[in-house]
Amino acid sequence: MAIKRPKGSFLEKNLHIIFPLPAVVFVIVMMLFPVLYTLFLSFTNWNLTSGMPLSIVFLKSYQKVLREPRFIAALGRTFSFTALAVAVETILGMIVALILNREFRGKGFTKLIMLLPLVSTPVAIGIVFNLFYDPTIGLANFVLTRFGLPRQAWTGSAATVIPSLAIVDIWQWTPMIALILLSGLASLSSEPYESARVDGASEWQIFWRITLPMVTPTLLTALILRTIDALKTFDIIYAMTGGGPGYASETLNVMAFKYSFEYFRMGQASVILVFLFMLVLFMSLLIVRMRKSLEL
Amino acid sequence: MRAALIRKILFFLVILAIVVPVLFPFLWMLTSSFKTQVDIVAWPPRLVFSPTLQNYERVFREQNFLKYFTNSSIIGISAVSLSLLMGLPAAYSIARYKQKRLSMFILIARLMPGISFLMPWYIIFSRLKLMDSYIALILSHMLITLPIIVWIMSSYFETIPIEMEESAMVDGATRQRAFLSVVLPIAGPGIVTSVTLAFIFSWNNFMFSQVLSMERTRTLPIAIYNFVSYAEVDWGAVMAAAVAIMAPAIILTMIFQKYVVKGLTMGAVKG
Amino acid sequence: MKSKLMLVILVVLTVLSVGAQQKEIRVLLANHPYGDLLKAAIPEYEKATGVKVNVESLQESQLTTKLTTEFATRSSTVDVFMTRPLQEAKMFYKNGWYEPLTDYDFSDYPKNALDVATFGNKAYLVPLVTEWEVLYYRVDLFKKAGLSVPTNFTELEMAAKKLNSADIAGFASRGKGAAAVTQLSSYVYNYGGTYLDKGKAVFNSKEALDAIRFYGKMLANYGPAGITNMSWENIMPLFQAGKVAMWTDASVFYGQIVDPTKSQIPAENVGIANFPAGPKGNTPYIVVSWGMAIAKQSKNKALAADFIKWATSKELAKRGMLANITMARNSAWKDSEVRAKIHPGLIATQEYAAKNGIPYDRPYMSAVGEARDLIGEVIIESINTGGSSAKLESLARDKVAAVNSLLEDTGEYGVY
Repeated sequence: MAIKRPKGSFLEKNLHIIFPLPAVVFVIVMMLFPVLYTLFLSFTNWNLTSGMPLSIVFLKSYQKVLREPRFIAALGRTFSFTALAVAVETILGMIVALILNREFRGKGFTKLIMLLPLVSTPVAIGIVFNLFYDPTIGLANFVLTRFGLPRQAWTGSAATVIPSLAIVDIWQWTPMIALILLSGLASLSSEPYESARVDGASEWQIFWRITLPMVTPTLLTALILRTIDALKTFDIIYAMTGGGPGYASETLNVMAFKYSFEYFRMGQASVILVFLFMLVLFMSLLIVRMRKSLEL
Repeated sequence: MRAALIRKILFFLVILAIVVPVLFPFLWMLTSSFKTQVDIVAWPPRLVFSPTLQNYERVFREQNFLKYFTNSSIIGISAVSLSLLMGLPAAYSIARYKQKRLSMFILIARLMPGISFLMPWYIIFSRLKLMDSYIALILSHMLITLPIIVWIMSSYFETIPIEMEESAMVDGATRQRAFLSVVLPIAGPGIVTSVTLAFIFSWNNFMFSQVLSMERTRTLPIAIYNFVSYAEVDWGAVMAAAVAIMAPAIILTMIFQKYVVKGLTMGAVKG
Repeated sequence: MKSKLMLVILVVLTVLSVGAQQKEIRVLLANHPYGDLLKAAIPEYEKATGVKVNVESLQESQLTTKLTTEFATRSSTVDVFMTRPLQEAKMFYKNGWYEPLTDYDFSDYPKNALDVATFGNKAYLVPLVTEWEVLYYRVDLFKKAGLSVPTNFTELEMAAKKLNSADIAGFASRGKGAAAVTQLSSYVYNYGGTYLDKGKAVFNSKEALDAIRFYGKMLANYGPAGITNMSWENIMPLFQAGKVAMWTDASVFYGQIVDPTKSQIPAENVGIANFPAGPKGNTPYIVVSWGMAIAKQSKNKALAADFIKWATSKELAKRGMLANITMARNSAWKDSEVRAKIHPGLIATQEYAAKNGIPYDRPYMSAVGEARDLIGEVIIESINTGGSSAKLESLARDKVAAVNSLLEDTGEYGVY
């Protein structure tokens, strides 16, 4: 339905350039240019606090950061946090969507409740969960002791901090996956189901053979978007633990933030940013490719 | 008959098992905001207590949350309005001229980690003496709101049949005229969706404001974060602050529920 | 005719407005009790001098960030600011961001407080507030258990053991890595160790590691759960809720601990004692936690000098003391009105620490934030293993190397 023959005034002829121009200029100035600047800084050793002017050191900052065990650990942690959170969210989200995919009284209300985590302020949510997790007065340990289980340190110990943070992410974003899948499921045609039932297929077979393949495009888009967001999770981690205890919950994003705004090592911070950036760019390209092949 | 009833009850329980965990943190936050510090640190946790308003008083009177509330609103509303101004024509063009690449370019702004522009902004804004200014905050928040608006609106414009504009143009209207007087008036639901979501994500933003704002332009998420790290943890007041921050987003969601679901499931997730 | 008249009026107005242009200065304060006190008192100063003071209050780490960026990007309009000497002074001085204070009268300040304010032979900041490490304890619990207040680490451990129960932690101190570094310092000193010696990191010495192991053992065995994520802001509510029997931390918290609106513990049940002695004596830290300085690039230096004299005056120091802020000026502690009001435990421990204490509570270097993170890792490892970690030595050795490389980066290695 695209328009082929522009006609009339200059404005009308070039509408396809003039209309998007302000937005494009804005994004170039505010995003593209800063990103290029970051790339440039990553080849320098600029440090705001050293009192020395910036000098170009090419790959030296990369060398320094890559040799830093703290960086390698943060990189791994970024992946493990993402994998844990997104995997649980997908499975739970699928289950919830399958349950809700029918007509029942109160469906609208249930959907409304599910929306609330998505629109809540992550920092505030993190703080509320900190109250749950408080080892001495928190509800989480109260529940554990009621069931005769030992108290946990939750975000207070290196061993449990990542799962504890992932729980917050899961709480906040499982509903989103569920809602996306729900709208995907609602749009499926009922024909294949009917014929499968006529053929005597079990519910389980129907799910694996019909539902899952049909909902896969939706699921994959949701999954990739969620993965990208999980890779850059910042608010809840920074607000709940600040990357601690020690560096036990420091992801790339948190580490880059500390390098920039606490240590003022702009050169090395830029290196971390370049990595984070490439990671996300890679995931984004994946989306584009998939959109093309799946015709989304 | 009985089997049907049992099934019904079981299903209800399953729904409860979904709803309660989602709702629980909100309820706990709300009740805690009416507790005194003594009630909050009590072990076992108290479910029955005499409610107090002192936490809200502390948040709004001593901590000046009203000012941060105003700041968040000014920044959110300005960023959303300016984004609409830029985003609507762009979205229209993307929809009508099938500018896929352009749409990807703007989508990338939504996907990129915010921190990769934040550090350069911080340097540039300091040089321009724009740190802690509304301009800096609004510009940065626009990078959140603009992609949401473009993303949602371009899909929305695609659903509007092109015949409507064409008939207007046959009557002699220019394309830009048709956009303004034919397309925009019926794009209301889409605009509501995108504005609500864009505003909520600006409202919730932490990272940009944490770096670019100080005392004067501090927004609510920063205020609550500082509140925790500066004062010893006064849980009741912190929970009251959390309620105050989340209430507007939640109320907006309840009013525009239908639109928000649509917007979020369209792919415009987390800002 | 008319337009000429307008022009004249315009010119007159312009001249008038320039002539009447108010003198202004810009002051950055911290969200600290003394910053709050100053903020409240500034209208008096404005009234007396006619100078308009533009005040901003910031949370301490934001203050550092803001000052650093404004100075580093040369975009600053700050005239006077509060500064944390041990955290910032070295870096700020090296970058030339402090204006030397050549005609300020420093005779009312203790010598060790001036040490951190002086570089070469010039002073660059005025000490405002001091703090030292003390032992807070629950008088009632000690009485009930028939214990006397511990005076050394052995007694501290015994008391913690006896007071520890399912409900109450026998002992608490900061466990959150970087934040713990300052409170650990007195332990390290009392074991005979230190963080930096002659411009080199030495916290892997046997003495320092013994102290870190002891600290880890105490917190692991008798500390509250989740201690490795706790700084003072998490421990204080526990103490106020009656869930901690002993707590070593800075002296500044007394006022808040006994605040009846937040605490369930009546003031008479909260005791303050000297930090306990270790195997090598008792030399707790006593530091200038806050000072005030003039920015080098200030364009209003005369006004700034006048303001700083007022803001650090004897009169305001006394007001600070009466508000439970432990000021750096000697005269503030000698004032009879002050002595009558303030907790005797504070006076006694201040006198002891002023005489015997060490004026540093952290590695004193430009990259102190990163160094604290690094030492924090060793502390956390020790707490996690109850002080028995087999790899503590090698971990500390790695961190010492890392701190030394930070010192080298800024040209401070081996310089003292």
